Amino acid sequence: MSATLTPGSLRGVKPATATRPVEKRWERVAPYGYVAPFYVLFLVFGLFPLLFTFYVSLFDWNPIGDKTFVGLANFQQLAGDPRFWNALRNTFSIWIISTVPQLLIALILAQVLNSAYLRLANFYRMAMLLPYITSVAATAIVFAQLFNRDYGLLNWFLGLLGIGHIDFMSTALGSHLLISVMVIWRWFGYNTLLYLASLQAVPRDLYEAAAMDGAGPVKQFINITLPSLRPVIVFTVIMSTIGGLQIFTEPLLLSNGTLTCGTARQCQTLSLFLFEQGFGSFKFGYGSAVGVALFAIIVVVAFINFLLSSRLGKKA
Amino acid sequence: MNTPSRTPLSSLSRRHLLGLAGLAGGLGLTACSSGSSGSGDPNTFDFWSFTGINQKDDVAAYKKLAPDVNVKLTEVGNAQETAQGLTTALAGGKVPDLVLIQAGDLPKFMKNPGNFTDLKTLGADDVQSEYVDWVMKQATAQSGEIIGIPTDVGGMGVAYRTDLMAAAGLPTNRDEVSALWPTWDDFIATGQRYTQASGKAFIDNAATTVFLQAVSQGEEQYYSADGKVVYATNPIVKQSFDLGLKAIAAGITAKLESFTDGWNAGMAKGDFAAVAAPSWMLGSIRSAAPDTEGKWDIATIPGGSGNWGGSYLAIPARAANPKAAWTYISRMQSPEQQLQHFIESGSLPTTPVNYDKPELVDHTDPFFSDAPTGKIFTQAVLGLKPFVNGEYNTEISTELLNGLNGVEGDGAPAAAAWDTAVKNIKTAIGA
Repeated sequence: MSATLTPGSLRGVKPATATRPVEKRWERVAPYGYVAPFYVLFLVFGLFPLLFTFYVSLFDWNPIGDKTFVGLANFQQLAGDPRFWNALRNTFSIWIISTVPQLLIALILAQVLNSAYLRLANFYRMAMLLPYITSVAATAIVFAQLFNRDYGLLNWFLGLLGIGHIDFMSTALGSHLLISVMVIWRWFGYNTLLYLASLQAVPRDLYEAAAMDGAGPVKQFINITLPSLRPVIVFTVIMSTIGGLQIFTEPLLLSNGTLTCGTARQCQTLSLFLFEQGFGSFKFGYGSAVGVALFAIIVVVAFINFLLSSRLGKKA
Repeated sequence: MNTPSRTPLSSLSRRHLLGLAGLAGGLGLTACSSGSSGSGDPNTFDFWSFTGINQKDDVAAYKKLAPDVNVKLTEVGNAQETAQGLTTALAGGKVPDLVLIQAGDLPKFMKNPGNFTDLKTLGADDVQSEYVDWVMKQATAQSGEIIGIPTDVGGMGVAYRTDLMAAAGLPTNRDEVSALWPTWDDFIATGQRYTQASGKAFIDNAATTVFLQAVSQGEEQYYSADGKVVYATNPIVKQSFDLGLKAIAAGITAKLESFTDGWNAGMAKGDFAAVAAPSWMLGSIRSAAPDTEGKWDIATIPGGSGNWGGSYLAIPARAANPKAAWTYISRMQSPEQQLQHFIESGSLPTTPVNYDKPELVDHTDPFFSDAPTGKIFTQAVLGLKPFVNGEYNTEISTELLNGLNGVEGDGAPAAAAWDTAVKNIKTAIGA
């Protein structure tokens, strides 16, 4: 059907040209059909809620009452709301306390698990995943009992040593530590396995060659391991950033279900604050504004982390 | 018919958090298409209730009264989850014909009465005088619509351990114990005597056992009669808060927040001798400390009256079958049925005509040394006056309770507690 066909070529190929364009068009369209299920779901459950959140954040929106357009007033209020800044501080504090040790532990464990001398290596590798596949709620119940002020195992032990009981959830630092320990416990295995998989892809002869040239374990680690792991480190750092800044379940469960997470909001994260405003106080507009702020913060932080972690070991 | 009326912001029990956790990423606040429960069958209606209050029994009883009516009961979740589910439904989903709402969640819905059927249009005018006046008033909007019919109340008493009292050289007989604390100051003084003699805490915590009860005795609480926010200037709120601080300073509290694991464990271990107990709390005590059967008794609350909790039945405005739902309410919440329900389940009627019936007055509970629970708890309800609730009751009460719990458990300075709480409320509600 193409207009570029010369009259001469038209003869003899007529039957083919009658069907081929249809097939071609179908072939051009079909791939979109194959990927459509994901994008349709993404549109419905990803993009639409995201855009709708932006829209709602411009309103004073009571789900069962009035919806008044207020422009950027919610964001203005947010900027002057001490609860928001407190939640932001808590979120960053918990994120840093949980992510940095977690990734370092994972890196070291991956090295150990990669050792050729390790017996039962597969058993240890699989065991790493146990905390990850355990339900958060179950983990939280165990942690809450371990760290309980009056009847917790840890405090019982401290009592035996003559140290007074510590009420972890009552202070900002204590609650952040406890939440972080739980996050680390849950996620270190996952990251270890990611690092391990990547480590196993590093050619052995690189290490052998380095050893021949007299490079010790530390030098090998810095000059071979780190650069080889860079892509996966970037990935884990970004994923931990996204997960860590959205942390919700752990503080909620450890504080016995209080949305303020403690009497002085000492461990209330941004997600908890969002939920408190949206579903506790029926302020969907203000809650959405928190959500938009959280979104922006995560994008910025993840980007900074991407820049920093992709420079890791680059000089090698 | 009762579950603990805990403020939605401050507490949810752990098993309900599994569901809550699923909402972690949830900001998909979509407004779905509107619609109502489709069936046009006049003999079928949807009923949303919450777990733990055994509405199945009521529905089964109704089946006997009205065999041809089909009640589709759904237990949505705990009280807060049911209220959240209702919110979502009202915002634009399929609404039930009948819904049970806990008293603590009611003020948020009362702000927008248009979401519900005015029960006056169905005949509530004729029956509203059968219910305790202040309970009824909580379900009556400023503009006069009646939104709900009260199914039960949480009349207050003080549950105390007779064995622990005796060990501390205090009386154990419920009348003598009641006589120890006509006022809250006497209550705290008794606590000090107990603590001096036993070396142990007298009550679980100051926030719920002292402050919350003392403030509920006010004719005006967080809102004035004309609906203005007055928590900051209302003397009873400040006095109640100071009573809480006084109890903490006296060292008679066990620093155990209500309904936490530590609270349950402390109850079983006898770490405190007394706890403010609304009628529904008896079940919590029974399950937290089953080995203490017969060692408890119930005295009257200082000040003589109080309420904590209770529930209401309401009909959404978009209900498909409001008439069937109203017939259910009017038959199941009649004084006769409420008395029957009390005999079967122990939940307190909201109909004062029952309060001197022998079935209620003579009812005793062996777990609590055969205390006449029906009599003690209903007397506490009668002493209360109608008061006005408002949209932000939960936020106000949460911050005040947090203030006291902060001083008691987290070492926050007592001198600044009130000002901090007021400042936090101002931030939260802007008034």
